[in-house]
Amino acid sequence: MHRLSPRIKIAATFLLVAVTMGFPRHPDALYWLPALVLLVLWPLARMPLGFALRRLLMAEFFILGIAILTLLAPESTPVLLSAIIKSNLCVLAMLLLIWTTPFHEILGELRRWRFPAVMLTTLALMYRYLPVLAEESARMQRARASRTFQRKRGFVWKNLSGIIGRLFIRSADRAERIYLAMCARGWR
Amino acid sequence: MNTAIEVRGLSYHYPPKGRLALDNLSFSVAADECVAVLGPNGAGKSTLLLHLNGLLPERPPAVPQIWVGGEPLTADNLDRIRQQVGLLFQDPDDQLISATVAEDVAFGPQQFGLDGPVLESLVEHSLQLAGLPGFQDREPHRLSHGEKRRVCLAGVLACKPTVLVLDEPTSDLDPRGRRDFKRLLQSLPGAKIIATHDLELVVDLCSRVLILDQGRLVAQGATVPLLSDEGLMLAHGLEKPHSLLHRHPHG
Repeated sequence: MHRLSPRIKIAATFLLVAVTMGFPRHPDALYWLPALVLLVLWPLARMPLGFALRRLLMAEFFILGIAILTLLAPESTPVLLSAIIKSNLCVLAMLLLIWTTPFHEILGELRRWRFPAVMLTTLALMYRYLPVLAEESARMQRARASRTFQRKRGFVWKNLSGIIGRLFIRSADRAERIYLAMCARGWR
Repeated sequence: MNTAIEVRGLSYHYPPKGRLALDNLSFSVAADECVAVLGPNGAGKSTLLLHLNGLLPERPPAVPQIWVGGEPLTADNLDRIRQQVGLLFQDPDDQLISATVAEDVAFGPQQFGLDGPVLESLVEHSLQLAGLPGFQDREPHRLSHGEKRRVCLAGVLACKPTVLVLDEPTSDLDPRGRRDFKRLLQSLPGAKIIATHDLELVVDLCSRVLILDQGRLVAQGATVPLLSDEGLMLAHGLEKPHSLLHRHPHG
C-alpha cells in the first residue's frame, strides 16, 4: 500500500469518508461496509495499533465534543452513537492515508488537484512547525521543572498555563520572523 | 572597484517613535569583498541586515539610502533587490518553511517565476553548492542544525544573489559544523556581509570590518589592525580574538 500512487490513496480515502458520512443518522448495518474495508486494508498497510490508538485518542476529544451537541435534539441517543461511530471510521481512514503516504506527497497531489493555495500553505506550515513548537514547549517545560521544587497540583497547573502563554507569545514572534524570511526570498 | 552595496546616511527608528536603532550609517562594500559587521548585542547589526534586503523600513523611503549594484532601493524595484541580496537568517527554523528540502530551496526561484525542469536543476545545483547533494526529499525538521543551515544557504543561493548577507551564520554550530560552514562560505564567490560575534571567523574570512555600537558606525577598516586594537574592542563590548593575541597588527 505504501507504494501505491498517492492519487489513488487520496481519492479512495475521500470516497470512503464521503460514503460513510452519507450513511443514515442512526446506527445501521451499512456501517459495516467502511469498517470491513478498513479491516481489510489495515493489515495490508501494516499500521501499528499504537500509532492508530494514540492519534485516535487525540481526535476523540473533538469527536465527543461535537457528538455531545447532538444531545440537544429530541431522540438524540441514536444520532449521538451514529456521529461517534462514523467520525471514528473517517479518522481511521485518514490515519491509514497518512501512515502509507508521506505528507509532502499528499500536499503535492492536492496541489495538482488545485486545492486552494492558502489552505495548502497553512497545512504545510502546520506540518513544518508542529515539531518546532513541540521541541520549544519541551525545552520550556524542562527549564521550569529544573526550578520547580513542589508537586502541588495547583502549582503545576499554574506552571502549565504560564508555559502555554509563553509559547503563544514565542509563536507570534516566530511567525513574524518567518514572514520576514519569506519576504526576503521574494514572497509578497 | 565595482560596488556591490552602498549605504548613505541610513537612519532608522523602531516604530512608533521608538529608540534610534541606526544612526546615519554610510559605507560601501565592493563586489568581491567579504565584510564583517561587529558590535555588542543591540548595536543594530541585524536591523542593518534587514535594511540591506529591503525588509526594513516597513515602507522604502522616498529618497533612497541604499544602492545595490548601483541601483537605488525603492518600492518599485524591491523584488529585484531581494533577489540580488540573499539574506541568511540567524535561526534556520525561521527560514525553512516547506515540507521537504527541495520545496524549500525552490521557494525563492518560484517567486521569481521559475518552474519545471529548469527549477529542478537549479535546486539540484544549489544543494550541490551547499554540500547537500541528494537531500531533495528530506524533511527539514529531521535535519541536524548544521544541515538546516546549509539548506537555508542553498535556498538563498537558488535565487542567484550578487551579495550574500549572513546573520550569525556560525552560532549554535559545533566546531566541525563551524569549520565546514566556514569552508563553504570561502568557496562562494561575490560580496559577503557577515554580522557575527565569531571573531575567529572574521579573521579567517573577512578583509574588512565595520564596528557598530548603539546604532552608530564607530570604526571601520582592515580586519587585523582593527581587531588588534584592544582599547577599541573593549570600549565597544568586544574582545581581541585569540588568534591575534601574539600577532603584529601589520603582519
